[in-house]
Amino acid sequence: MEEYAREPCPWRIVDDCGGAFTMGAIGGGVFQAVKGFRNSPAGVGHRLRGSVNAVRVRAPQIGGSFAVWGGLFSTIDCGLVRLRGKEDPWNSITSGALTGAILAARSGPLTMMGSAMMGGILLALIEGFGILLTRYTAQQFQNPLPFTEDPSQLPPKDGEQQQQKTKGLFH
Amino acid sequence: MAYAHILKVLHRRLRQTATQLCVQKCYVVHTHRALCTAPAFVRLGTKISSLDCLTASQRHQVASVHCTARNRSSPEDRGKSVSRYQSGTPKPSAAQKVKDAGRDFTYLIVVLIGLGVTGGLLYVVFQELFSSSSPNKVYSRAFDIVKSHPEVIGAFGEPIKCYGETTRRGRRQQVSHVEYMKDGLKHMRLKFYIEGSEPGLKGTVHSESKENAETGKYEFRYLFVDVDTYPRRSIIVEDNR
Repeated sequence: MEEYAREPCPWRIVDDCGGAFTMGAIGGGVFQAVKGFRNSPAGVGHRLRGSVNAVRVRAPQIGGSFAVWGGLFSTIDCGLVRLRGKEDPWNSITSGALTGAILAARSGPLTMMGSAMMGGILLALIEGFGILLTRYTAQQFQNPLPFTEDPSQLPPKDGEQQQQKTKGLFH
Repeated sequence: MAYAHILKVLHRRLRQTATQLCVQKCYVVHTHRALCTAPAFVRLGTKISSLDCLTASQRHQVASVHCTARNRSSPEDRGKSVSRYQSGTPKPSAAQKVKDAGRDFTYLIVVLIGLGVTGGLLYVVFQELFSSSSPNKVYSRAFDIVKSHPEVIGAFGEPIKCYGETTRRGRRQQVSHVEYMKDGLKHMRLKFYIEGSEPGLKGTVHSESKENAETGKYEFRYLFVDVDTYPRRSIIVEDNR
């Protein structure tokens, strides 16, 4: 079933970048709203103004840094897919590590390695979670032992028919 | 909390140099803490920026502190300052100790749960990537065999790429597979898609692998490619039934 008539890859970068920005902006907005509320002088008017101010200033910045992370990750992922020719969980983990390394490039090689490890482990956890999720939700829908025979599609029957034909010849 | 920590570090450092500076330094740091926290942006910023602010202010004030410290120091003041800032909190009572222990215990439980979840997820990932009986490894091996088969190359054209099922986000890493037991051995059926440089031509690779009783690795029973043309055509790559 073709759901996408086109290749996901170059468009996935924009997709991921935008999704990451939205996540960062909304999450950061909630956090900064609470933080701004608490760190303002007493009085609901002051607090609300402080909260709105904090969100207005910081939420786009947080969204922006999330978007950079997401866009870079997706770009490296698509690049690896094109390079290797197959889609694997390895691509995600390597992309996460490289993204972490590149984004820490200004702080020197040691920080880059640490950041790469963190990115790789984070992506490995996300992949593991995804794998678990798909395995368990798929198992729910699976009928027990759907086929005990070889597939009745045409292709394997060719092999069987050939075998039967040869058997028939020697009858 | 950063400021309390910074204060503690400063205290420790100062006690080494001269105790009379202690009182002055605390006053200085308090005033500069107020200065630093006035703009909301600095507070919301990182710890590093506030540390920079404090260390800069500290450097500025060391000179002035040196000048004023000598006037104000006296034995009683020194004793008072040491007792005020060195003894810390009074000895914790039994109830306080129980509360502390309970809190530490709940923190320990939370840490253990977190470590357990992380360890479980990492184990799943390692098993998926490194164990030779994982669907991903079988998929890799099947693709390697299919990729180098001359009939497949003839039909699809090099280079050939493969992918699995498309998820909602457009990622295609998951490979559709079924594992089942038959005659006491584990079987696994796999299905993935390949595409070559021939435009618009897609193929589906079906494979079944059986676990070898001695080595525990999966060996292919059959491996064939359904070419998505009209009329449909199948290329049988391996048939070990």
